[in-house]
Amino acid sequence: MQGHDDQEPTVHIRELKKDSVNFVLKNVDLAFANSVRRVMMADIPTVAIDMVEIEINTSVLPDEFIAHRLGMVPLGSSNCDEAIRNTRDCTCLAGCDSCSIMLLLDVQCNDHSTMDVTSHHLDVVPPGTPGTWSQEGDSEAGEELSKRGEGFGRPVGKDDGSPPILICKIRKGQHLKLKCVAKKGIAKEHAKWSPCSAVSFEYDPYNKLRHTTHWFESDERGEWPLGPNAQEEEPPRDGEPFDFNAQPRTFYFDVETDGSLGPQEVVMKGLAELQTKLANLILGLKSQPELDMLTSADPHSNGHATTDTWGGDGGGGAAGWGPAAGGGGGWGASSPARGGASTGGWGSASPANSGGGSSWGGGGAASSQGWGSPNQQANGWNV
Amino acid sequence: MAIPMEEDQNEWDQINARNWKGIGLTDPIKSVEDKWLLLPAFLKVKGLVKQHIDSFNYFVEQDIKNIVKANNKVTSDVDPRFWLKYTDINVGFPDRNEMSSIDKKVTPNECRLRDITYAAPIMVTIQYTRGRSIVQRNVNIGRLPIMLRSSKCVLTGRSEAELARMIECPLDPGGYFVVKGTEKVILVQEQLSKNRIIVETDTVKGIVQASCTSSTHGGLKSKTYVATKKGKIYLRHNCVHEDIPIAIALKALGIQSDKEILLLTAGNTEAYKSAFSASLEEAAKLGVFTRHQALEYIGSRVKINRRVMGPRRPAWEEALEALATIVLAHVPVNALDFRSKAIFVATMTRRVLMAMEDEKMVDDRDYVGNKRLELAGQLLALLFEDLFKTYNTNLKSAIDKVLKKPSRTSEFDAFNTMQFQGDHLTSGFVRAISTGNWSLKRFKMERAGVTHVLSRLSFISALGMMTRISSQFEKTRKVSGPRALQPSQWGVLCPSDTPEGEACGLVKNLALMTHITTDVDEEPIIRLAFMLGVEGTSIGNLTTPKRLIAPFLDISLATGTEIYGPHTFVVNVNGTIIGLTRYPTRFVAQFRKLRRARRMSEFVSIYINNHHHAVHIASDGGRICRPTIIVEDGRPKVTSEHIALLKKGTVTFDDFLRRGLVEYLDVNEENDTYIALYESDIVPATTHLEIEPFTLLGAVAGLIPYPHHNQSPRNTYQCAMGKQAIGAIAYNQLNRIDTLLYLLVYPQQPMVKTKTIELIGYDRLPAGQNATVAVMSFSGYDIEDALILNKASLDRGYGRCQVLRKNVTLIRKYPNGTFDRLADAPLDENGQVAKKYDIIQMDGLAGVGERVDPGDIYINKQSPTNATDNTFTGQAASVPYKNTPMTYKSPVAGNIDKVMISDTENDQTLIKVLIRQTRRPELGDKFSSRHGQKGVCGLIVNQEDMPFNDRGINPGGCFRICTIKTRSADVESGTDTIMNPHGFPSRMTVGKMIELLAGKAGVLSGNLQYGTAFGGSKVGGTSAPIGRRLTDVLGRGHESDIDRERLQLCRQRYVDEWYHRRASGGLRLFWADLLPSE
Repeated sequence: MQGHDDQEPTVHIRELKKDSVNFVLKNVDLAFANSVRRVMMADIPTVAIDMVEIEINTSVLPDEFIAHRLGMVPLGSSNCDEAIRNTRDCTCLAGCDSCSIMLLLDVQCNDHSTMDVTSHHLDVVPPGTPGTWSQEGDSEAGEELSKRGEGFGRPVGKDDGSPPILICKIRKGQHLKLKCVAKKGIAKEHAKWSPCSAVSFEYDPYNKLRHTTHWFESDERGEWPLGPNAQEEEPPRDGEPFDFNAQPRTFYFDVETDGSLGPQEVVMKGLAELQTKLANLILGLKSQPELDMLTSADPHSNGHATTDTWGGDGGGGAAGWGPAAGGGGGWGASSPARGGASTGGWGSASPANSGGGSSWGGGGAASSQGWGSPNQQANGWNV
Repeated sequence: MAIPMEEDQNEWDQINARNWKGIGLTDPIKSVEDKWLLLPAFLKVKGLVKQHIDSFNYFVEQDIKNIVKANNKVTSDVDPRFWLKYTDINVGFPDRNEMSSIDKKVTPNECRLRDITYAAPIMVTIQYTRGRSIVQRNVNIGRLPIMLRSSKCVLTGRSEAELARMIECPLDPGGYFVVKGTEKVILVQEQLSKNRIIVETDTVKGIVQASCTSSTHGGLKSKTYVATKKGKIYLRHNCVHEDIPIAIALKALGIQSDKEILLLTAGNTEAYKSAFSASLEEAAKLGVFTRHQALEYIGSRVKINRRVMGPRRPAWEEALEALATIVLAHVPVNALDFRSKAIFVATMTRRVLMAMEDEKMVDDRDYVGNKRLELAGQLLALLFEDLFKTYNTNLKSAIDKVLKKPSRTSEFDAFNTMQFQGDHLTSGFVRAISTGNWSLKRFKMERAGVTHVLSRLSFISALGMMTRISSQFEKTRKVSGPRALQPSQWGVLCPSDTPEGEACGLVKNLALMTHITTDVDEEPIIRLAFMLGVEGTSIGNLTTPKRLIAPFLDISLATGTEIYGPHTFVVNVNGTIIGLTRYPTRFVAQFRKLRRARRMSEFVSIYINNHHHAVHIASDGGRICRPTIIVEDGRPKVTSEHIALLKKGTVTFDDFLRRGLVEYLDVNEENDTYIALYESDIVPATTHLEIEPFTLLGAVAGLIPYPHHNQSPRNTYQCAMGKQAIGAIAYNQLNRIDTLLYLLVYPQQPMVKTKTIELIGYDRLPAGQNATVAVMSFSGYDIEDALILNKASLDRGYGRCQVLRKNVTLIRKYPNGTFDRLADAPLDENGQVAKKYDIIQMDGLAGVGERVDPGDIYINKQSPTNATDNTFTGQAASVPYKNTPMTYKSPVAGNIDKVMISDTENDQTLIKVLIRQTRRPELGDKFSSRHGQKGVCGLIVNQEDMPFNDRGINPGGCFRICTIKTRSADVESGTDTIMNPHGFPSRMTVGKMIELLAGKAGVLSGNLQYGTAFGGSKVGGTSAPIGRRLTDVLGRGHESDIDRERLQLCRQRYVDEWYHRRASGGLRLFWADLLPSE
């Protein structure tokens, strides 16, 4: 473990497309890499239709059916962190421009043929349109509106002419008229808020680390399924001794998004989110007086991680963390806890190293205190 | 040297010459490809439930006429000059039975919705005397419920578009009735065949007995036994108090000479002779020597039950009548010529002697050839006969009542009396079908549970019900014989599809190509047999003028010596002996040739029974048969050219039958054939070739992919479970209002199909979804077959289902003039509508689309307080009303899906409200693959915690294959599940593994795969395209270190079943809880 710790984490982008990015992440721990993967899949906020008010539905599909399909339509969500508030944090009573986006759909078929009602029929009501929300002006207007980009809240693909998503099919005389309210959320709550369609992740394509075994008929090496990533690594030499201390250090990612966010944003937001989580964790582990001191420093300030952070001072490792993981068995699912390799680079959270280490050494007592913190739960940081 | 060489060469050329239809001698014989196409051709002609429909058609077109013919006269005891005769009967097409309606046309769907009966008028043509003249008229005597898709149904022969206009599903098989709005099926009943001799032994009591249940047209049934008792043989029958020594019985039947008795029974076989001698002596011991003495002997023991008082008849006359009409009633006795009956009894005796001598000569009552299936048509025929007879008796007494009156103002017209006969027939049919009680006192029939409500849980459950056969055996009897799988079931009854538990093996299902015969007139067949050289023993059963066949027919010519001669074979038609032949093989071959040339019905069967030295011809109804390809000279008659024509659509299955390429074989005839399973198995002795081996399975078992790789009980479990799968039910599912309807939101056709699936339309009305499955252990919440589901999949719509529930109420009019009414929502003192009334609209009904919360009222009905007060005479509108609303009781909110307002047949307003709930899978819901592997959901896991492969596919992740990168529900391809591998070793469902592979190959290559029984995509073939991804390395997403497991991540169809919940809470006490603990 110690051997490679000196090397700085690197990212090598192999391919960047409109909706996917393929990169190799090196010199980080397996746990860290997996945390990145998990965060990208589950914790990045986007907007999606959450409430549907059906006015007219004379199609063959029931209301819930259509509502569910509408929820699945990806909406443009870039800069979601700043451009929209969580409804639960908003001061409004029943939706406002700061926390919700209104979309309308009103389609009627007048032809003799079957007509497709698609995501292209969904129109965003521009913020500020009077009569959009039932109770106007009861919320504090924030700066969210100004941070919104061009296609924010608009169904993906509507601008670039890519094929739309089918919502329903109607025949002559059938009419579908409804009002949708899109809100911010994360995929932990519902899969419709996930920006990713698939996150591919691989390491050790030759199975040198022997993390798995393979049943084979005659030739183990020949039958081992090799993917394209195998080209990046050296094949094992014959008779090479098995290094049981070796750790995986290179990870091959391919992040594909559904269009609501660009792949770059997904990766960057993912890292930022991870940082926030860890900051919160460390915060939670502080003893009470220290916590009071820290509350003044807003952990969100390091929200936007830039590429520099990657190459940042990897340094120190965290001697205190290693044993801690073993002790805190109950942490299993919350992998970030062990992502120690580059904690050093994480801005304001870094002082935690010393303090955190000590409290861990102390065992369960200190940590139980941290767990109960409502602050952490509110941030969606749960197991 | 050169010359012989050249000769050699010529010889070779000759051999190689394409000299016969372009085919040379050395060419490999082309195999008939795609001969399975005969199967869809067969189903096109016959349909999936052809047995029900054919049987009903036979009833309404032929049998009903025979019944009326047999009961065609009504006379009067009062006026001897009066008579009424039925000359014809016809069943019309279903119509609306309402006076006021202008459009009389009715569709089955309207009947379902309006709770009315889909029935057609029965019209009879009558001739009767009116005064001095004879009048002919047509009268409607009642209404007969019509089987859907039968020849009288409006749906028959309609195109898909026409069916759609009638709101009917083209894939619906029909074969059931709609009675008072419910769909009722008359299950196929299995019985021992009638009019055949069955020999059995009771090893405990040491009894050998031959029995024969006689059943003639007219429904008279009686069972006659010839049995041993203390080494002697007796004839036993219900109408005689004690057992009659067989010699006496034969004497009474006109065979007086002991020598002849001996010849007819024992023949020349020494062993039989000695065994029979004691029985022969008995007659002499009892002092019975002549026919008269024998009749006296029997007559004094006959049970006399006559209602009509008259002069007491001598004993011998009673005996004569009993012997002629009750004992072995099916053997005809013309002009007191008992010869054929005597021979029949003698044959029974001989069979007993044979069984006494050789234990192997007994019959097997479980043998399918000894069984007959009773269908809707037969049961309805019996019911009709009973009702018709009662109708006539009622009519007669009504006529008598009028005629009794001395003076009349107008001339008596029986037509008017008929008009006032009420709806005895109509109500009789409706009652019997809706209750399932067939209690026909007249025919000593008392059966309950004949009909069942057609199960509409899924398309397959409805179909499975139509092919079900129930046995008459008591379910409680713990006998293994009738429950065991019989080798003779091959090809006709499904070996897998039977329930578990008490009805195991007693309830069976038909195989895919099974056909059940209807009655075919036997007289022309008998005549034909004589033409082919059968020598007659009796003319009893023939109405043909004697001179036509006289040369062969001197009865007395044939006696024991001839009948049991070494080379003689007895020819039986439907169990009755008609004659002898010395060349059975030739006779049978010629007979078959005529049948293949369609000189008689294709369902007539003929076979040789070498043990009994008999040729049996059968033309009775209820035999189970199936089509096979005829093989002659080692070549199947069906060739690729024929199949090409079939593909083009220029020929139908009937053409194959007519040209003698394919023929029906019943179970008995199968014994006389040598059927090759595959074309390559044909040897010179082969007579037939199977159309397709997978047809030996039924419709439900046919849905299992690779069933031939599974342990057999798994297939049986699957047959029970496949019916519970949620999916699409019918094309008209959204226009139906069923009591309870479960629909899947996104049903998918299976990745791994079978031919059966395509044939029955399961790919168009699927149940279940294809899931990406990882076979691995995960989290410990998957023990005991529990499954792990991906939360994201559920979010995307996997396993989402809709539950539609019907709620009905009648807005009644009461006999005292008062009536129910609907009221709008009441206002409270503040002028506000109470919460529970918030969805009620002006008309007193909930609005369509509204959400119904528990406790909400959706029909605000009010009833008069004095509805039962029959003395009330006041203003109906002014009576006080009380609230009798319909309240929503389910604990989970729903939506109003539909509201229907209509009238029933008796003019009551009918309101049906359909309430819909949408459910997503949750912990404890049951899921199943298609291999009898069910499990409940044990844990729902977030997508990021699910295992995943190097491409990011996790059971539940989106698939790369689907190019559109949206989360739209259509793309929710990677739905999913984790299944515990411990489910495999003990279950041995290898078929499931192969399905996983085939499914994955299909997904990766973008094809559907086939898993047809005894065929389907081969593992070698299917796994090839999988290539490197034959196995996937899965990482476990939720642990800090990623474990890697090299596992199958495959696609498999997962069918979700019931997610029922208990409707109401509360603890249930078990006996264990009540006992004091130690």
